Amino acid sequence: MSPELAAAGVALVAVMMYAVFGGADFGGGAWSLLASGPRKAEQRLALEKAIGPVWETNHVWLILLVVTLFVVFPAAYAVIFEALYVPLFLALVGIVARGAAFAFRHYGNRESRLARQSLQWFSWASVLTPFTFGLVIGAVTGGHIEVEGTTVLSGAFAGWLRPFALMCGLIGLLICAFLAASFMVARTEGELREDFRRRAIAASLALGAATTAAIPVAAWDADAFASHLDDARVVGAMGVTALLGLAGLWALRTRRYRLAPPLAAATVAGVVGAWGLAQEPYLLANALTYEAAAAERITVVSFLVALPIGALILIPSLWLLYWTFSRDTLRGEEVAH
Amino acid sequence: MEFDTLLSARALMGLSLVFHTFFTPLGIGLPLLLFMAEGMALWKKDERYRQLARAWTPAVGLLFAVGAVSGTVLSFELGLLWPRFMEYAGGIIGMPFSLEGFAFFTEAIFLAVYIYGWNRMSAFAHWLVTIPIVISSAVSAVFVISANAWMNVPEGFRVVDGQVVDVNPWDAMFNAAWLHQAIHGTLASYVVTGFAVAAAYAWLTWRKKPVAHPRLALQLAMVVAAVSIPLQIVAGDFAAKRVAELQPVKFAAMEGQYETQRGAPLRIGGIPVDGETRFAIEIPKMLSWLGYGDLDAEVMGLNDVPPEDRPNELLTHLSFQVMVGAGFALLFIAGWYWAAWWRRRGVAPGWMPGRALSAALVASGFLAFAALQTGWFVTEFGRQPWVVYGYLRTADGVTEREGILGFFILFTLLYIVISVALVVALVKWPHGPRRAARLPGAAGKEAEGVA
Repeated sequence: MSPELAAAGVALVAVMMYAVFGGADFGGGAWSLLASGPRKAEQRLALEKAIGPVWETNHVWLILLVVTLFVVFPAAYAVIFEALYVPLFLALVGIVARGAAFAFRHYGNRESRLARQSLQWFSWASVLTPFTFGLVIGAVTGGHIEVEGTTVLSGAFAGWLRPFALMCGLIGLLICAFLAASFMVARTEGELREDFRRRAIAASLALGAATTAAIPVAAWDADAFASHLDDARVVGAMGVTALLGLAGLWALRTRRYRLAPPLAAATVAGVVGAWGLAQEPYLLANALTYEAAAAERITVVSFLVALPIGALILIPSLWLLYWTFSRDTLRGEEVAH
Repeated sequence: MEFDTLLSARALMGLSLVFHTFFTPLGIGLPLLLFMAEGMALWKKDERYRQLARAWTPAVGLLFAVGAVSGTVLSFELGLLWPRFMEYAGGIIGMPFSLEGFAFFTEAIFLAVYIYGWNRMSAFAHWLVTIPIVISSAVSAVFVISANAWMNVPEGFRVVDGQVVDVNPWDAMFNAAWLHQAIHGTLASYVVTGFAVAAAYAWLTWRKKPVAHPRLALQLAMVVAAVSIPLQIVAGDFAAKRVAELQPVKFAAMEGQYETQRGAPLRIGGIPVDGETRFAIEIPKMLSWLGYGDLDAEVMGLNDVPPEDRPNELLTHLSFQVMVGAGFALLFIAGWYWAAWWRRRGVAPGWMPGRALSAALVASGFLAFAALQTGWFVTEFGRQPWVVYGYLRTADGVTEREGILGFFILFTLLYIVISVALVVALVKWPHGPRRAARLPGAAGKEAEGVA
């Protein structure tokens, strides 16, 4: 395996981690928007408390992804960001609005008008951002962005307003909804748990339907992606992902609450993994391979050397964080205040 | 059309940086105050210090969160606005960025453990958690500043036929400018935090708001301020000498020096336009001495630089004057506070600053931020028209996409909304011990003690 391929693998893992952790976080906002029924307020409070301690960390995966791209694949970073600047700017608006709104609501005075308005901003931004990221993923994969060298030839709206990209936007949203609801099943009790269980089942069925439908849509609109469907590895990854998804559904149906979150996370990682395999050898489909986009070898190798050293600090720290807060968060006392 | 895009992109990047750098110094400095407060609580067995840390915690969380999202904005805007620059520089200078990513990740993790750990760990363990936050936040500043230093003094690569070759990411990271910029930039965070916290407490007590332990808070903040400001002025002198050597054009613009001359005078104030710095107080030969340690050293003037390679001397010079002026004003205020404290020590145990000193302390918060922002203006305006000094012009690094002006307006509105909300949230903050009832658990329980 070349260092460039290894670095591309690191980027893919960063996408996976962001999809799983950031996705659950966005999903929390989406369900906050869709909170309904007699336990509307409890649902929102439970979601907020679950997100609280980890939301910042969840989004650092995005920074890690962006940094990996521009250190190791500067040409791809430049081309993708230039070509897809409109949806990426929109995602950025969502990220800023969401982060600021959550902070105001969470650390500020809960009864204030500011806190109530913040909830609205937070919820809508939680829908906007994963949807636009889905559009970007779809556009990167769809093969409709024209590039010559590192100059973008196609227009500002190329690639991301097409059926396949919109499908990916929808999948992005459903991933978040599915993760958040599945995670909440293990973190709540009683009636509230039933609420989230029903939501998780609905989201998992919708996600299954959308990912299945994405294949004919790709055949029609995204040759670059569809042409990989005869690759045994891609088909294998998709098969495994489907089985994981079904296992997750079974865990939810049979009320195996502790099994639901890891199975949901594995399903989402599988979706991202299958997508990543279907991208090879491209970072931007039909335009830029990971080898062509890579920085000089020494930079790639230095990055790969720094990675495990950083991980040596990060992994125990992350473990400490999730270990400290995974227990009894919701039975515990008031958080943050 | 091209000019419009360049100007919009610079305006948006500048706006985002200014917004971001209101929060980053506090994200670096406040953990130090938390470390000190919790350390004092353990050392002196005085629970009041822990209550202070407890009262600051939500504000730290809020400021850090806004700082983090505004930092994400920057990581995107590098690609959205400056794709040609990143394509050129990413592989050379990406190393400190990726290391900064790790440091920032570590800070985010331990800050979360700190904020949410009040009820879950012993007072000693909680104090220990502040240590990785203090270290990782300072380290991440050093890394990111080293990337900026490379833009000023690019090293660690060669250009052959327009192609970047022979990249050495470590040489690029430890370029000639990294040390003075890292020291000056990181110390600035402690200066800002010390004076900003002091200003907040001076204002609250002046307006007779119910605040817990304002005297202790003021003292902790002024310790940080009084230690960091003299160091910062020494570091600033060192930085100026390095700039004089490494970037003589920037140095000339900072000082409003048009003619190349031996024994150049130091200009205090003044307005450099049309080839002349008017209305300045001139101290003969002082600039040569400050820049090169020799009263008769030659200082290069802007007239020796082709007009298309010059920075905007008016912006650079005025920013530099504001920074230096504010720095010395801060030194004076810190001295005044501790002199006043010294005279009343032992005599008036509950001493708080009087009206004049309170007003000066409130002003010091604004002065500290002014010094920080204008300091960055000097670095950034002074490097123009280059984005990578001597290699890549800013105009050649910008995106070719249209409509950037629209995004500039959108983000301006967004930042205005957030700033207003932030001011509202901080002004309406419950400063008193009102929330003490909600603090069960080990470290929390002790903090509750006296309240």
